[in-house]
Amino acid sequence: MCFVVFFLKDFAKDRYGVSAMVQSQQKLDRALVRVEDLTPHKVDQLIWLRARVHTSRAKGKQCFLVLRQQQFNVQALVAVGDRASKQMVKFAANITKESIVDVEAMVRKVEQKIESCSQQDVELHIERIFVISQAEPRLPLQLEDAVRPDGDGEEEGRATVNQDTRLDNRVIDLRTTTSQAIFRLQSGVCQLFRDTLTKKGFVEIQTPKIISAASEGGANVFTVSYFKSSAYLAQSPQLYKQMCICADFDKVFCVGPVFRAEDSNTHRHLTEFVGLDIEMAFNYHYHEVIDSITDTMVQDRYQTEIQTVSKQFPSEPFKFLEPTLRLEYTEALAMLREAGVEMGDEDDLSTPNEKLLGRLVKEKYDTDFYVLDKYPLAVRPFYTMPDPNNPKYSNSYDMFMRGEEILSGAQRVHDPQLLTERALHHQIDLEKIKSYIDSFRYGAPPHGGGGIGLERVCMLYLGLHNVRQTSMFPRDPKRLTP
Amino acid sequence: MALRELASLEKYLGLKKPNKYSTQGDKKVPVLQNNDADPLVGLVTIACHLVKEAKRPELLGDGAEGRAVVQQWLEYRVTKLDSHTEDTKSILKDLNLYMQDRVYLAGNQLTLADVLMYYGIHSIILDLAVQEKEQYVNVARWFDHIQHHPGVRRHLPPVVVLRNRLYTSRHH
Repeated sequence: MCFVVFFLKDFAKDRYGVSAMVQSQQKLDRALVRVEDLTPHKVDQLIWLRARVHTSRAKGKQCFLVLRQQQFNVQALVAVGDRASKQMVKFAANITKESIVDVEAMVRKVEQKIESCSQQDVELHIERIFVISQAEPRLPLQLEDAVRPDGDGEEEGRATVNQDTRLDNRVIDLRTTTSQAIFRLQSGVCQLFRDTLTKKGFVEIQTPKIISAASEGGANVFTVSYFKSSAYLAQSPQLYKQMCICADFDKVFCVGPVFRAEDSNTHRHLTEFVGLDIEMAFNYHYHEVIDSITDTMVQDRYQTEIQTVSKQFPSEPFKFLEPTLRLEYTEALAMLREAGVEMGDEDDLSTPNEKLLGRLVKEKYDTDFYVLDKYPLAVRPFYTMPDPNNPKYSNSYDMFMRGEEILSGAQRVHDPQLLTERALHHQIDLEKIKSYIDSFRYGAPPHGGGGIGLERVCMLYLGLHNVRQTSMFPRDPKRLTP
Repeated sequence: MALRELASLEKYLGLKKPNKYSTQGDKKVPVLQNNDADPLVGLVTIACHLVKEAKRPELLGDGAEGRAVVQQWLEYRVTKLDSHTEDTKSILKDLNLYMQDRVYLAGNQLTLADVLMYYGIHSIILDLAVQEKEQYVNVARWFDHIQHHPGVRRHLPPVVVLRNRLYTSRHH
């Protein structure tokens, strides 16, 4: 017996396949077009591009793919014809999701807008398709699920992805359009901070993170072994910012990690986060400092990113006033008392009261961002400058976004004698802060500042509900990887 | 508690001579010794008696149906509210639904039902957060209205009910 097997001759076999691993074998002089540039002006051009296969679906003699590049995607088509064979169409349909492909295609105009893609006016007719990097067939999470709004999942019986799964497979989760938008915005927030301050004459500094004494108090600090002894991870750059002012840098800022060993498992706490810190010498009044800080926070850029994020996480658009609203603590007390809250004149604001106050301020002034000035002295750190007219209050302030605190700041005590008094009043061991007090002994300008958490600001600005969404690889008491 | 309510009720009704009450049982049910007849036992019984004594029959409802509704709420006060058989959330939910299109519990005027329900529910409303008061907006509106009625509040502290909404439907 003999078997005769027929192979249909594959006329397109040179126009598709899995490429050899790119090991820099050659320098191809080939321009690759970006997906975001696939607009009507490229119609009827033959172009090459490299993108991920977002989806691929065979339908008879055709295979429809969606090719994705960061926030942008475009529909593409392989159809049996004079350029593509049946085998080529089958190959395209079997390319695993997330694989990276090089595609040569004609850009064609479409009659009806393709609503589901970012590039709505064109589609690609593929002539050649090669897999550059193949993705394993079973993905730990599906990007469509990861980008689906939470409510939708329940209603239509489709899956959404829970936070832990996302964080465990962060590399894939970060590929979603939402994540791409979030972190581009975050980059923008940092950029705005730097640009605004640099224009005002601030100098960016770097401060040490391995330090010899806990800067904010001994409870929430990470200890590291340091050769034969131990050291701590900095809880804030407070000490060094101030020393820079005493060293005549006048106005400084720093962007760097902050480590807090707080065993808080909440929506807004991380053990490691990025601090945007500012400190400046001022002439006569610490409000000069407040104004500099608020200028870094208010901006109207990144609207596209904000829109993208709100598709998955709808929220009220962020509102602010210009100039920034500044309320005094006593006014806030009055507003809260009017709403039925009982508080003493020198009490600190609890988190629920902060949130309620945020609502009251929003209702009264229509702003999601405001400064609360003149906190009671009793609830602030020992280095806070007391109010000159009322010893119960202080030259200190907090800033709030959507009812949650994003910054705590103050005019600092720059007089070593007063500083010593205040430290004693707070029962702090003077030995432990001797070098800190010494910094002010050789002429120190009046100064003040504050620190902001980058992740928290982004979270609140976008109206998100968990700070882990705005931290690329978040650290909390339960998470150390990836 | 019940005795304080009865004292306040007497003042509201304008009764000149305050009565002397005693209590019975561990639940401290109030008892009013009536000179000629049998003693009156129970908050609702005594309250209704006081209303008749003050010659304010309209406080017990207008017409047969109105009177029945008042009695229903008085019974609700004692059996559901005071006895803690229902959980707070379901009481508030039911009341909120009922008050959607009503100003008073029974008919179009203040009745004993409103007064005793106000006394009875006061401690619950006092403890509600602003957001919860907004959630049960009809209960809050009715409560604020009753507590502002001249002469009703008496022994109870005022509860702040805000006029403006702070929380929209998509709240944080």
